[in-house]
Amino acid sequence: MLKYTTVEKNDFLLVSLEGDLDIEGTEVVNEELIPELVHYHSINISLEKVPFVDSSGMGLLISLVNTLKEQNVKITISDVQDDVFEVFELIQLPEILGEEVFI
Amino acid sequence: MQNIISKGKNLKEAINIGLNLMDVSKKEVDIEVIQQEKNGFIGIGRKEAIVKISLNQKSSTSKSDEAKVMNHVTHTSEEIVEILPIDKDGEHSTDVEGLSDERNSSFFQSGDSQLEGKAWVNNNKIYVKDSPFHYPTVQIDKGVKLYKNGMEVQEKSTVISQNDQLDIKLDESSEKETSWQVSLVENGLKAILKVDPGFIVNHRIKDVDPDKHIDLVIEESREVHNSLEYEDVLKKLQDFRVIYGIQHNEIVQAINAVEPGEFVVAKGRSAHPGNHGWLDLKVDVNSMNGLVEDESGNVDFRETKFIPNVEKGQVIGIIYPPKPGIPGVTVTNEPLPAKQTYPLKIASGRGVIEVGDKLVATESGRPFIEQRGHLVKATILEKLIHEGDVNLSSGNIRFIGDVEIIGQVEENMTVDAGGDIFVHKSVSEADLTSSKAMVVKGNVINSELNAGKNNLLIAELGHLLGIMNKQLDKMIVFIQQLSQSPAFKSNDFSITGLQPLIMILLEKRFQNFIPYAKQYQEVVEKGENHLEEKEWVQIAVSLKQIFINLSTQVTTIDQLRNLSQKMKELSELSETPVEPDSYMAVAQAVNSRLYCSGDINVIGKGCLNTKIHSGGQLKVSGMVRGGEIYGKLGVSINEVGSNSGTKTIVSVPSDQKIHITQAFEGTLLRIGNKTHLINDKKNHLKAYLNQENELKLESL
Repeated sequence: MLKYTTVEKNDFLLVSLEGDLDIEGTEVVNEELIPELVHYHSINISLEKVPFVDSSGMGLLISLVNTLKEQNVKITISDVQDDVFEVFELIQLPEILGEEVFI
Repeated sequence: MQNIISKGKNLKEAINIGLNLMDVSKKEVDIEVIQQEKNGFIGIGRKEAIVKISLNQKSSTSKSDEAKVMNHVTHTSEEIVEILPIDKDGEHSTDVEGLSDERNSSFFQSGDSQLEGKAWVNNNKIYVKDSPFHYPTVQIDKGVKLYKNGMEVQEKSTVISQNDQLDIKLDESSEKETSWQVSLVENGLKAILKVDPGFIVNHRIKDVDPDKHIDLVIEESREVHNSLEYEDVLKKLQDFRVIYGIQHNEIVQAINAVEPGEFVVAKGRSAHPGNHGWLDLKVDVNSMNGLVEDESGNVDFRETKFIPNVEKGQVIGIIYPPKPGIPGVTVTNEPLPAKQTYPLKIASGRGVIEVGDKLVATESGRPFIEQRGHLVKATILEKLIHEGDVNLSSGNIRFIGDVEIIGQVEENMTVDAGGDIFVHKSVSEADLTSSKAMVVKGNVINSELNAGKNNLLIAELGHLLGIMNKQLDKMIVFIQQLSQSPAFKSNDFSITGLQPLIMILLEKRFQNFIPYAKQYQEVVEKGENHLEEKEWVQIAVSLKQIFINLSTQVTTIDQLRNLSQKMKELSELSETPVEPDSYMAVAQAVNSRLYCSGDINVIGKGCLNTKIHSGGQLKVSGMVRGGEIYGKLGVSINEVGSNSGTKTIVSVPSDQKIHITQAFEGTLLRIGNKTHLINDKKNHLKAYLNQENELKLESL
């Protein structure tokens, strides 16, 4: 089950996701995470503790980034595990979200 | 020889050369300096040293005494300097001694005076005969090494003399071994033996007749040595397990071959292809091909009236089952299957039933048979004859059979026929669509004419399906690949299906797919009435569900595979040509659009500002002024463009030609993706792409 923790520094919010980013995380992301994040100007999401993803999970990530971008929130994603990043690259996620999102 | 005058760069050289030639030592001669050498300034004013050398009387009479003296003084160079005060460099007497060579001097004495100053080559040896006035020179070619007195000559050419010890060395004779190889080709139907016979290359120096300048040239001779043995070949064939159809005489030819070659050393029996199922027609089904010109260029409009007919109960044709082919045998004695044969697939439409192996008409009318691959459609078409004009009082005409209109088709009317359309008068601002042929005897003004609509549609849809099918196949492979990634969880496929993944893929990786799918939808929706096979529509529905609407219905990879399979079948079907194809013939056209899947013939004065698309040959007997015309199987026009330079585009695919009797400026020729604009009037023009893909114009 997906969990997350946040650390706030001024306007900057560091979000650490923990667990598999999959279909079971739909509620967590859509109903808790997104409403909370829209209040910040700058956000980094760390995927350090995300070992697996599925297609629904990637769909969530896309909708999360796109929603925040619409709200003019600066968002970056960091610490993606190698295997997970391989999946991201296969489906060209960096091109979809913008190369600058991944740091 | 009593005395000699010798020249050299300096005194030392002059003396040496002189002594060399006379074959004597310094002791035996008197030397008189005639001219000292002068170096001049950077070569200007240079003078050679000249000496006169004469045998001194004493030495010639008592040579043996002199020899003693010579031995005595041999190693004291200073004394020699004293004896020869002109020799400033202190010449070593040992050099002088080495000059006497018994072989050369005896040859010199016995030699013919004609040979003087010449050199020659005989039997790989080089011979020289000196002359006091000339030294033979020799040019050394590649591969030859000339050793002068034990030293290899590095220069390309050199001066030689009788007293030099000359040796020639050549590259070793080389040997190439026979190489051979057996391979099975054409699925084991043949065993091929490739032989490259070995040879020995011998080198020798070409004999040269005596001359002042000679070339040392290598002569190469090859001796073929084919070392291939009969047993070697048999053993190799055994290794390949070749047991059928061994050609012994070919093997014998191969082992005796002197040139490289290929030999078929074993031959299987090729499969004999069978026949697909076929239809033997018992009635005439083709109507006359439109309005055709006779030899004198006249068109008989009555000729098109011929339309084949069948009575109720008449046998239209007999269906023959496929005949399977006879399998062949490979050289390894394995069966070689013949290509599979297929039975005809009969779609009997209205008025036709299948009775056993026969097609029988149940109604009277025009038999219509259309074949595309293994699929045969047979129907009896009725004919509607519309007396008078098509206008608001008659209403639009839609009929599944042939339509003949005795009058004209007026503004904003539509005629839609499942068979042919024949209009006796003109068509203006109207819309005519036929699934087969179309003939208009009058003018076509501001109208849109479509003949063979069904075929055009299928060609267009088939093209789209071909593109989408490739992408879909890639998508399927991609999904499988992704499922194997270590960090990818595929368990949501069972809950949501592939939809979330497809959505992401369409976002970027397959972003071209949606436009094609949408285009396909549109074409199907527009032409739904003309699509007789419902599979085309089914694919449109599937595409919409899976890719466009992204419905909540669970999609599995097997569904994608099924879809891909169907697309592939239809795409292949669309590529097989239909028989008979449709055609269109009109008298003249103004501001209109003519589409036909087959040939188009414009018989009258021609067309103005008209867009023409022909899936076959396009022929215009009159002129084409303005507009855009295309013929998939070539275009021939009598006159194109105009003096005023109206822009007219004539295009064909890259493998076709354009023939124009008279072309005016403003005509743009397009062949494949190459274009050419005609700037001045040209007669009898032929345009095509050559093998380098350049547009070529031939003007007669």
